[in-house]
Amino acid sequence: MITRRSAATLLAGTALGAALGLPRGAMAADSKVIIIGINLPITGSDAAGAKRMMNGALLGIQQANDANELPGYTLKPLVLNDATATAGQYDPAQAATNARKFVSNEKVLAAIGPEMSGSAKAMAPILSEGNVAMITPSATNPDLTNPQFAAQYMPSGKPTFFRTVTTDAFQGPNMANFYAETLGVKDVYVLDDSGAYGVGLADAFQKQAEAKGLKILGRDRLDPTASDYSAVLTKIKSLSATSLYYGGVSGAGVKLVKQAYEIVPTIKKGGGDGMYTPDITTGAGFPAAEGWYVTNASPHMTEDPKIANWLNEYTSAFNGSPDDYAITAYDGVLVILAALKKVIAEGKQPTRENVRAAIAGSTVDTLQGAVSFDANGDVKQRVVSVFQIVHNPSFPLDDAIHQFKYIGVAPQS
Amino acid sequence: MSPFDLLLQQFVNGLSLGAMYALLALGFTIVYGIMELINFSHFNVFMIGSFVAMGVLSLFGLSGQTVLLHGFPLVGVLVVALVVTMVACGMLGVGIERLALRPLRGVQGPMAMITTIGVSYVLSNAVMLTMGANTKNFPNPIPSVALHIGTAQITVFQFIIWALSAVLMGGLYLFVQRSKLGKAMRATAQDPDAALMMGVDVNRVIMTAFFLGSALAGAAGFIFGLYYNFTNFGIGFTAGLRAFTAAVLGGIGNIPGAMIGGLLIGLIEAMAGQYIGAKWADVIIFSLLVLVLVCRPAGLLGRLAPTKS
Repeated sequence: MITRRSAATLLAGTALGAALGLPRGAMAADSKVIIIGINLPITGSDAAGAKRMMNGALLGIQQANDANELPGYTLKPLVLNDATATAGQYDPAQAATNARKFVSNEKVLAAIGPEMSGSAKAMAPILSEGNVAMITPSATNPDLTNPQFAAQYMPSGKPTFFRTVTTDAFQGPNMANFYAETLGVKDVYVLDDSGAYGVGLADAFQKQAEAKGLKILGRDRLDPTASDYSAVLTKIKSLSATSLYYGGVSGAGVKLVKQAYEIVPTIKKGGGDGMYTPDITTGAGFPAAEGWYVTNASPHMTEDPKIANWLNEYTSAFNGSPDDYAITAYDGVLVILAALKKVIAEGKQPTRENVRAAIAGSTVDTLQGAVSFDANGDVKQRVVSVFQIVHNPSFPLDDAIHQFKYIGVAPQS
Repeated sequence: MSPFDLLLQQFVNGLSLGAMYALLALGFTIVYGIMELINFSHFNVFMIGSFVAMGVLSLFGLSGQTVLLHGFPLVGVLVVALVVTMVACGMLGVGIERLALRPLRGVQGPMAMITTIGVSYVLSNAVMLTMGANTKNFPNPIPSVALHIGTAQITVFQFIIWALSAVLMGGLYLFVQRSKLGKAMRATAQDPDAALMMGVDVNRVIMTAFFLGSALAGAAGFIFGLYYNFTNFGIGFTAGLRAFTAAVLGGIGNIPGAMIGGLLIGLIEAMAGQYIGAKWADVIIFSLLVLVLVCRPAGLLGRLAPTKS
């Protein structure tokens, strides 16, 4: 949004530049501003994870400025919130409004976000028209980068939506491999939470589970606003299922975890990255949450000794430890930064199109390793990490890093 | 599980759910019966009830799922929490009536109803902003003792829900039928002007209706929290909408109708989850509502009081 203040700055800057007729940037005080948009649901029920991602992105921007990575330019974040009070969580309508704000602010050359695939689906078409590259640290719905839906999410024909995580096209199937190969279950009942993310994830899981020879005992859909899932859980019990997979976020997930513990306490239960959140360990608590398997669509990095310095820096800056998606958000900033450097080094103007093209063709060394993108904007590495919820009484319940135990990389197909 | 055990288990599930819907439906019906007002703030009075109860339990040192009580302390804590929650919610209902609805008394059209929608949003946002949007872990100090019939199980807590709901509903029915204030309520429902001329304090009657309805919503909120072990700022909407449907289904304004409607919707939800698919539950509930309204516009039991002209 062009606020009154930003409009005044813009006007003053333009007038000054025109009056002097000089290229600015020689002095730091004069340095040109490049804005990196950040769109995350920083209030509401997704706030905890969203804030960690925001901090990851802000740290990347701050470090770049401190180290003067782009001489003559200053990076500034523009943080917009796509959660609304009415929705109580991320709201795709607000996400669309925020995408228009990014497009209408000509200093925004690229953006980080959104957290949720539902918001991403609302933002992608607008950012594509405005040619603003966006890198999501966590939105994993495969449709967003699927060429089949290019007319919908990529109307300009060029990739503007990138990810530093892999998609549910791998998160679901790799977890199905984990069920079949590592857990060794013979059958599974599949549930989703009716959302874009949950349905897609559960579909992808189910397809691969069938291919691996698991018997699909049934598939049902939970209403995230309902409170009682005992009917469907009783059905699962009556089928003597040995495992349950849930595609969805913690809204329905917390209730499912609680009621599944009452009705089907002993079967294997698992979900995707929507369940990798302290909401599960605080809202459902223990012993209900104990033993659930969840995945993240990225390599597991927060226990990696190679990035210990970075972890310390993050923890001391924000008074809380990062999770893997704070790192993928930071990695997104590194990708944007590398693109800006490349554009400037080649003597080109840092425009939206130049930055976008540079991101699409880049290979960047980030915390999670080398990041590069395929023709659709998806990251080429396809690591899915599996965690198990194991109560660690020496840490608070909302400390996801210590209540979710890293199991390993899910078997790839 | 044998088909019979399964049916029994789903019947038990549905009956517990239905008892809660029925308590909530009574609040809609009692206010509608007297004022012909659909009170949408009722949704979130229920939600606030669950938060009040959680607060009271935490004052007793109960939080999370790990603390269990037995015998006298258990009964004492539950009764205190129930009474405090019901009184607090009753007062909240009276406050809503006094502040938001009384100034609109006599205004024609849907003004008052729309005001209740606004109040509903104010309540849910106030809770979201003060308590946070994440789901809270509601303590349940009741030991999970179950009665087994075949492979089906009925927990002690489900018996408590049924008994409590029956007592509250029966008490309300007797109050309205037998007490002097109940008689005044019925008189006001039939014709407020005539009741006023006969010396009935209509303001007091309306306040009583709001107090009773909201207190029952508070009780439903408390039961909800204990039964599902969670609460958040958004629980009112879906439960409230189903309870409202229950009230209309049974015949809005009709107290036994609300009870039957609530139980029916709870049972449909459970059976649909087992035999058709949980995703179809809403389709079936609301189709049934349309069907009943087309064939029997006054609901299953109809209105007891004659319609006002």
